[in-house]
Amino acid sequence: MPILQTDNLMMTYRVGKVDVHALRGVNLNVEKGEFVSIMGHSGSGKSTLLHILGGLLKPTGGKVIVDGEDLAAVSDAQRTDIRRRKIGFVFQRFNLFPTLTAEGNLKLAEHVHGTSGNAELRREVLRLLKLENKMKHKPLELSGGEQQRVAIARAVINRPAIILADEPTGNLDSENSEIVLQMLVQLNRDIGQTIVMITHNPEAAEIANRKVLMRDGQIVSN
Amino acid sequence: MDSLILANIRQRPTRTLVSVVGVALGVVLILVNTGLVRGMLNDRMKREKGVGGEIRFLRPGSGVLTTSSLPLDVRYADRLKQIEGVKEVSPIGAYIQGGGTGIGLEAVEGIEFDSYSAMSGLRIIEGRIFQNDNEVIVDDFKAAKSKAKIGNEIDVFGKKLKVVGIYSPPSGARIKMSLTAMQNYLASTNKCTMIMVKCVTPEKQEEIQKRINETLPGNTVQLIRDLPSFERAIPGIDGFIKTILVLSTIVSSLVILLAMYTTITERTREIGILKSLGASKRFIISVIEKEAITISLIGVSVGLIAAFLIGWVIGATTTLQVEFQFSWIAIATLIGLAAGIGGAFYPAVRAANQDAVKALSYE
Repeated sequence: MPILQTDNLMMTYRVGKVDVHALRGVNLNVEKGEFVSIMGHSGSGKSTLLHILGGLLKPTGGKVIVDGEDLAAVSDAQRTDIRRRKIGFVFQRFNLFPTLTAEGNLKLAEHVHGTSGNAELRREVLRLLKLENKMKHKPLELSGGEQQRVAIARAVINRPAIILADEPTGNLDSENSEIVLQMLVQLNRDIGQTIVMITHNPEAAEIANRKVLMRDGQIVSN
Repeated sequence: MDSLILANIRQRPTRTLVSVVGVALGVVLILVNTGLVRGMLNDRMKREKGVGGEIRFLRPGSGVLTTSSLPLDVRYADRLKQIEGVKEVSPIGAYIQGGGTGIGLEAVEGIEFDSYSAMSGLRIIEGRIFQNDNEVIVDDFKAAKSKAKIGNEIDVFGKKLKVVGIYSPPSGARIKMSLTAMQNYLASTNKCTMIMVKCVTPEKQEEIQKRINETLPGNTVQLIRDLPSFERAIPGIDGFIKTILVLSTIVSSLVILLAMYTTITERTREIGILKSLGASKRFIISVIEKEAITISLIGVSVGLIAAFLIGWVIGATTTLQVEFQFSWIAIATLIGLAAGIGGAFYPAVRAANQDAVKALSYE
């Protein structure tokens, strides 16, 4: 059974008096341990899809099943709970708490998750992402690549079922982009982390096991 | 999460300072005002009891702390003295004016020196007694704490009266003049505010009180030991204190509300991040409330220290007494915390209800 499954997923925004159809029946299956990249032009609906997969938005139609739970059929609070337990986000703009150190950001994620933190897992993740010496630094004291690695560490620290990465290399130079992408590959390969990544960058998309292309709110190539 | 709260507090020192001052202000308002009222009235009551009589005789509705007129005929003194069991009587005029330092109130008494000193044990320790309408005597406490030294002038009835003597021990008002002078200033010949009565046998004061009531009905005959508590000594004081409480709560709540409202607007994106991590509404509310409680605790602590310092300064530089009471300290603390929790609640709920996607894209 796929770890992530959408069935005829629809999303319509109301802008003034006009309905904007952001998703028009998206069907997507992602197996456990897969690394899937989703490509598409601006306005193709890929960000909306990612937000729905992560439970940040509720679709206007269809199903979205994450690890056996239908995000479209539950309340806001239940969707938040599923997100807390099963989803890890990585954003283009890193979205770290600027007032906290790298370690503080990880501990906050553990606290939100409701655990006191698994020191061994934290060490393993930090070693994997080569961040052992950066834990006492605040985000502004880190390079863009290092910030994104901290963000990835935060996303995986609670061992989510899926990591959803929204243009994770969009704010990075090519050298740091390569490092971050390799980190994602490593997480996928070494600990079997399922990853769904949105990207504009065809080279970045190439590192995934599978590429999905979206256009006008639909998947046109899978 | 604790480190997030402390980091946020440290990150915005001006906001934190303003919030702390807001809460502290409320605590200071409550403690200094109630402390002043309590201190002034208890000090007054203590000195009232120091006059030495067991009973005071007044016209109905009048009181030492609430009147500046002389409604009682002095001739009652002779009639009181004829009542069995009465040893000594002393008519007293009372006048209340603004405090010399501009804070609080100050009482002035007009006395017949001989009868008053016989009853209270008052004696002149420096200078002499008043001899004309422009002279006053003050107690040793006032002489030590203010500029009321022998030869100096102090304001009474809007006039400059000369200090000619210092007396001890303190009893009644701290400034005394002759009753005749007060009657002249207030154009109330043969009038006074009350008559103090000393009993031959103090243990029989209730019996004598009853006898006075029977002989001179329609007047107020109070036992000094039953003088009312400070909350009831002045009509409306309870309302005044409640007003202070409400104002303090509003001031503190508004400061916290504005500070937290501004904060959550600044931190919209961070709230979006928390939501993306799976933080529930309750979690987000608790983060903001804990921050407000932490700020309020600091504010309450600063307020308590400031109130004690202000009380000490008032006590050291004026004749006013500030009496802090544990129950009011507890009330001020609770109000400071409640204001923090209440003031932060709306911003917290607003933050918790923000749309996650919009919050994440907030610039």
